Amino acid sequence: MRADEVENQSARASDYSPDGVDLSLIRWFISLTPAERLAFLEDQVSGVMKIRALNAGE
Amino acid sequence: MQESKFAACLTILQESGSEFILVGGVAAVLQGAPVQTFDIDIVYSRTAENLQRLLGVLHSIDAIFRIQPERRLSPNLTHLDGTGHLNLLTRYGPLDLLATVGNGLTYQDLLPHCRQMLITDSVRIQVLNLDFIIALKEQLGSEKDRAVLPTLRQTAREIKKQRGDANG
Repeated sequence: MRADEVENQSARASDYSPDGVDLSLIRWFISLTPAERLAFLEDQVSGVMKIRALNAGE
Repeated sequence: MQESKFAACLTILQESGSEFILVGGVAAVLQGAPVQTFDIDIVYSRTAENLQRLLGVLHSIDAIFRIQPERRLSPNLTHLDGTGHLNLLTRYGPLDLLATVGNGLTYQDLLPHCRQMLITDSVRIQVLNLDFIIALKEQLGSEKDRAVLPTLRQTAREIKKQRGDANG
């Protein structure tokens, strides 16, 4: 397969299951170690709380 | 203040001058919905200038296609100018770039349904409002979208109730 064909394949490579689940996201999360998964979640929750506090009252 | 990874990613996008709207799960979470989400979904303006700006940002944050991460394929202008979804992995985590959402709604279509939110002390971005996120998910109707709808609807009701209480 040519490089441009690979690139084009990737460009439309939204890999969703029939019920709408993003499979590439699941594979990425599985590829992390448990500690990395936890760190990602902690970072995200912490970030959300900060942004909600910044916008409180708006 | 130490920024979270997703706030850092959104800040870089905003400070580049890129035109985008935060949609999807993170947009809902920022407005109070207690749902778990992992990727940042943005709808972007497809003007030529904006595609160039976005491409610069994507390169600066090491964006590659998520489906085959081992190939480390980077998005290019042709990809950005398409009409599909680009599911990417960046140094800040997953980032999905959507040319359109729902039944072909573009950046321009969504702008009237946005609110501005601070994501750092000084950076504001456009965020799709919760009612419109609900409407989109109702329209999409996949099992995954339907699963989250009860939580989103109840969150919207609680927000309206609290605003009503505050105003009343």
